[in-house]
Amino acid sequence: MLNWIEERTGGISALKNFLTEDVPGGASYWYVFGSATLIALVIQIVTGIFLTFYYAPSSATAWESTKFIYDHVSGGAFLLSMHFWGASAMIALMTMHLLQVMIWGAYKKPREIMWVIGVILFLLTLVLGLTGYLLPWDLNAYSASAVSIKIAGDIPIVGPAQANFLQDGLQMGTLTINRFFGIHVWLIPIMLLGLVGLHLAVFRHNGAAGPPADETPRKFGRFFPDQIFMDTVASLVTFLVIVSLAVWMPAPLLAKADPTNSAFVPSPAWYFFPLFGLLNLLPGNMFSVGSFAVSGELIGTAIVPAVFVAILMFLPWIDRNRKRALNQRPYFIGLTLLSVVAVFGLGWYGASSVQAHIAASGGAGQTPVRGYGAAPAGAQEAAAAGGGTASNPVALGQAVYSQNCTSCHSANGSGVPNLAPPLDGNPFVTGDAAKVIAVLDNGLHGQAVMGKSYSTQMPAWKGQLTPSQVANVISYIRGSWSNHAGAVTEAQVKAAK
Amino acid sequence: MSDTAHVHDEPETPAEISRRTFMTQVTVIAGTIVGLGVAIPVLGGLVPSKDILDAGKPKWYPLNADEFEQFEKAAADPMKITFPKTTVDGYLMSESNDYVWGVKMTPDQEAQFKADRPDLFQVPHGDVKYEVPVTYENIGIALFSPICPHLGCRFNWNKDEQQFLCPCHGSTYTKFGKHMAGPANRGLDPLPFQDKSGIAQVTWINFEQTTADRLIVSYT
Repeated sequence: MLNWIEERTGGISALKNFLTEDVPGGASYWYVFGSATLIALVIQIVTGIFLTFYYAPSSATAWESTKFIYDHVSGGAFLLSMHFWGASAMIALMTMHLLQVMIWGAYKKPREIMWVIGVILFLLTLVLGLTGYLLPWDLNAYSASAVSIKIAGDIPIVGPAQANFLQDGLQMGTLTINRFFGIHVWLIPIMLLGLVGLHLAVFRHNGAAGPPADETPRKFGRFFPDQIFMDTVASLVTFLVIVSLAVWMPAPLLAKADPTNSAFVPSPAWYFFPLFGLLNLLPGNMFSVGSFAVSGELIGTAIVPAVFVAILMFLPWIDRNRKRALNQRPYFIGLTLLSVVAVFGLGWYGASSVQAHIAASGGAGQTPVRGYGAAPAGAQEAAAAGGGTASNPVALGQAVYSQNCTSCHSANGSGVPNLAPPLDGNPFVTGDAAKVIAVLDNGLHGQAVMGKSYSTQMPAWKGQLTPSQVANVISYIRGSWSNHAGAVTEAQVKAAK
Repeated sequence: MSDTAHVHDEPETPAEISRRTFMTQVTVIAGTIVGLGVAIPVLGGLVPSKDILDAGKPKWYPLNADEFEQFEKAAADPMKITFPKTTVDGYLMSESNDYVWGVKMTPDQEAQFKADRPDLFQVPHGDVKYEVPVTYENIGIALFSPICPHLGCRFNWNKDEQQFLCPCHGSTYTKFGKHMAGPANRGLDPLPFQDKSGIAQVTWINFEQTTADRLIVSYT
């Protein structure tokens, strides 16, 4: 039987060759990052295909179908969250793989082509992260992608064409979603798979590089089962980490994208924090070359990343030192570690500046409707149902509050210093109901609250909210957090008109 | 090539070499034709078409008759006036209510309006390049887009301070849309108004945000 297959395919001997391959210097846990990245990729492909069975790319359905996956698909929230965390895992493992190859000097002759393919794979994975970020079409997806498109559009000469290609229209909309979907689901994955195949084929041709030493190691380990065992352990750990994150910190989905909401502060995926930090660190206008002004944005978003990628890509030709032993390459190792520290530092700075921006905005729109940090789905549905069995005014009021009020007064009623007053522990809120109704109906501005002044105008909600919604939201704020005042009825609100 | 196991029968005559050259060239040319034949239309199709980048045609929408009547009669303060708007997003078209801010003016206030808004009355800034006739003079009415020209938030009227205030980044404007404070780079954007046989109508326009000049992006 095996002979029959072997004669017709040559597959058995190929498999034997593959499994009995020597691992120079013996099997090692240092070598597991490549195969663990591959496992993360397989998880992304499987969960990604699953998601396309439900996800519908258009501005009328993208967010709705994503929410449907959370609410009505068996295991949908879990698989979606695996895809969410799998992306992070893939990028983290790929970075480890890249660093290991750099420190081991494994990119040197004859593995230059393999290295270049690897760098391209890394960039394609970042593009996957960027394009996938838009697809849920929630507030963060929309606003963060608007920033990405703007950055792409601000690059000199090619910028406008790039932005046009990405956005496909005068504004971000349904065609942008279709475009990102096509890039994320077809274009990049097919390129990625082809290049992964090539990466592995070239690896088979060259064999493993072995430890960073300049003499050929005398000891040889076996690929099967020694290295396969270690790879399997690493893959299992990767899988368990992704599953744990998916279970305990399901992917957050914010409210649906709203082009008119520019108070929302988007945050990029964590792997773009270093770039964000760099952009934030550089001043607006740096210097001019002739009549051409070089801005911090141009340096941070185009020049520095392009130089960084170029150095990475052509590393085997830049670092012409043939030695691989660590003590023979002090400058290279030093520079590599310095770059790692710099990237981490910028990332930390980027993360904290995003946090600061969000805090300054009062956290407008940051509370997810699904996933980690969202209120239990049952309570939300009951609150949003607006009548029927769910007629509890406080629950209904909470829904009104989270849709209309949290952007200024925040979800816990604490307000935002100098912008909007707190409602929690505010005697006005728990005082005369008629006065509270009047403020909701007619708005308020310029009046000191508890001895402090606030600059944001309280809008007039009359006409925008129904009397019952006004009554419910007042009942909610009067009876929530540390407030314990009585509810307000619809009749009271109508009487105030 | 010397250690290859294959033995070619064909003699290395000039005729044979030219035959092989011909076949090689045909293969390359055919491959190029097929490759370009697929690549050109595909890449061409990914360039946003003129239709997609078209700003659309200006369209007159009827303002809500009751609200407009109330506005003409009584409005001392700016007032929201609703109208049914058609929004086109790629292949999706939807109908929804939107509103404009109506500002009613006495002749005195009209003089103030003129003084406040040189950007609307002085050439070249007065020329907004609307494709529809738009007059601001002597009609006692101004309609403003509800979109803040800074970053596109919707602003509100603050009755106590008698000014428009954008909640997002704090830009403020006078009753006549003159930019007072905050990060915006221009005053409020006026929208064309007409009275078509007794029916008040408005044209909706999306303007470029943040720019000091008023640039039309689209009419949908």
